[in-house]
Amino acid sequence: MPLIDMPDFAPAILEEFSRRNTTRVDTPVIQPAEPFLDMAGEDLRRRIFLTENERGESLCLRPEFTIPVCLRHIETATGTPKRYAYLGEVFRQRREGANEFYQAGLEDLGDTDAANADARIVADALACLQTVLPSHAFAVTIGDQAVFEAVVAALGLPVGWQRRLVRAFGQTDVLEAIIARLAKPEPVAGLSPEVERMLEAGDDAGLANHLRDEMERTGYLTNASRAPEEIVRRLKEKRLLAGASLDSAKLDALKEFLSINVSLRYAPGVLSDFARSAALPLEAAIAGFDARVAALRDAGASLADITWRAAFGRPLDYYTGLVFEVTVRGEHDVLIGGGRYDRMLTLLGAKDHIPAVGFSMWLDRIQKAKEAKR
Amino acid sequence: MTITIGLPSKGRMKDDASAIFEKAGMKIVAVGNDRSYRGRVEGFEDVEIAFLSASEISREIGNGTVDFGVTGEDLVREGLADADARVEIAARLGFGRADVVVAVPEIWLDVETMADLGDVAAEFRARHGRRLAIATKYWRLTQQHFSGSHGIQLYRIVESLGATEGAPAAGQADIIVDITSTGSTLVANHLKVLSDGVILRSEACLVRARKPEHEGNATVAKIIEAVRGAV
Repeated sequence: MPLIDMPDFAPAILEEFSRRNTTRVDTPVIQPAEPFLDMAGEDLRRRIFLTENERGESLCLRPEFTIPVCLRHIETATGTPKRYAYLGEVFRQRREGANEFYQAGLEDLGDTDAANADARIVADALACLQTVLPSHAFAVTIGDQAVFEAVVAALGLPVGWQRRLVRAFGQTDVLEAIIARLAKPEPVAGLSPEVERMLEAGDDAGLANHLRDEMERTGYLTNASRAPEEIVRRLKEKRLLAGASLDSAKLDALKEFLSINVSLRYAPGVLSDFARSAALPLEAAIAGFDARVAALRDAGASLADITWRAAFGRPLDYYTGLVFEVTVRGEHDVLIGGGRYDRMLTLLGAKDHIPAVGFSMWLDRIQKAKEAKR
Repeated sequence: MTITIGLPSKGRMKDDASAIFEKAGMKIVAVGNDRSYRGRVEGFEDVEIAFLSASEISREIGNGTVDFGVTGEDLVREGLADADARVEIAARLGFGRADVVVAVPEIWLDVETMADLGDVAAEFRARHGRRLAIATKYWRLTQQHFSGSHGIQLYRIVESLGATEGAPAAGQADIIVDITSTGSTLVANHLKVLSDGVILRSEACLVRARKPEHEGNATVAKIIEAVRGAV
């Protein structure tokens, strides 16, 4: 591959990576598209470069490294813990900026001490960036899905509502719509008297049989999509959802939590004050959060440069805890994005649960920041 | 400057479009024989007609190779990225009415809204080892409605170019996004439309390519005015 357009600071980043107990990996530029679409959803289709081989299989130009690196890890079965490093071109359709650009990053797989692994990855990201931009000041924003999940669980909502809220985490509009809906209950309508009667009587088996008969009568396969039992289970769950609402004190607590935006120096205090004043049992989540803050301090990160924004998250189901972004202070361009994705490896087919955290550096934006300073 | 209007080359759409133009005082005559793909408008020397397949019309308007076209809004919004920036819906013509809808099996008693569908999609992978599959030919409209309007990201599109409403019963997909005029095909296939599942209320439209040279062009203004007066 001709690498004449590679940023001239690339070797310095690789040097930083190699000092961090990492294995450098490369992955083919042409990748099967399935895993990307499966993980990130159909939205990605418009943002990647897709093609087909003559057997009709979808292929794409590598849009990022995390998924190929994880797939490679699963295939080679080299065991954990393992730290991978990469640097190479990725290809995306973007409104601004070139369609091909360089990314570099680390993926830390299999470390079960989440607080330490989180802190180490943030510290590594900052150290690598400082090597390239030694005279810039940075701002780090972190979010934590685990804390949000704990708050939602502590509010005492039915599981279905908890899932809806957690799913919307990081999408302000969707979350606001759900919160507005939670202020008032909404009944389930449109069920036949026969179905109502079986639901009332708690006759799950009878209802499932009724659905199975209907599916057979109307020519639907009963094993291809949602099974009768699954529909019955969710119908019952939905009746619980419909009746549920949040009293104004709890709604206020949820909104107050989402508005937290505080320097990490004060974040542990703010979080524990919030838990106390809202009377929510958040001990486990607070312990995890505080452990990460302490680990960050130990890892030499400057807490004054890090802000915790409670509403910051990414709405994809493989993210589980920490998310973070790094910008030049006072600027918007995200130079580094990272986070914890404990669910990804099992979704990609790993047999064992493998905790994972990593980051990716946008080398084109870093180059721009470097030039702007000059 | 010659103004080109793209019209459907056959079927009901062709007849309805011709009728509207005739009513607007723009009688369309074929050049050469009746099967010709070129036409002109009586009394409009600087207008020519290109008879095109319905699906090509939106693309040609998007490229600006024709100045106007008569086609369904669904095809315009599906076929063109940033449709509103590239084309203008100059008139709604009142025929070819159909809705693009999200429909699920009737037997899904627990699914009435997009929010319900969001719940089902979120846990689909864990239960079935794959994402929720949507059969459709409307990739763009589906993405806009699911991810843009309802925050649902996790589903897969299964391309379906015909008989889409049969896909759920046959196990090719779980639900569909398709066009329906009366809803009878959906009912016959035991599908129901979600209460907030109407993505687009479509009808045939006179669509103009946004071109700078249209600015101040008398013929362009006259065509729009005449067609608006006829509907």
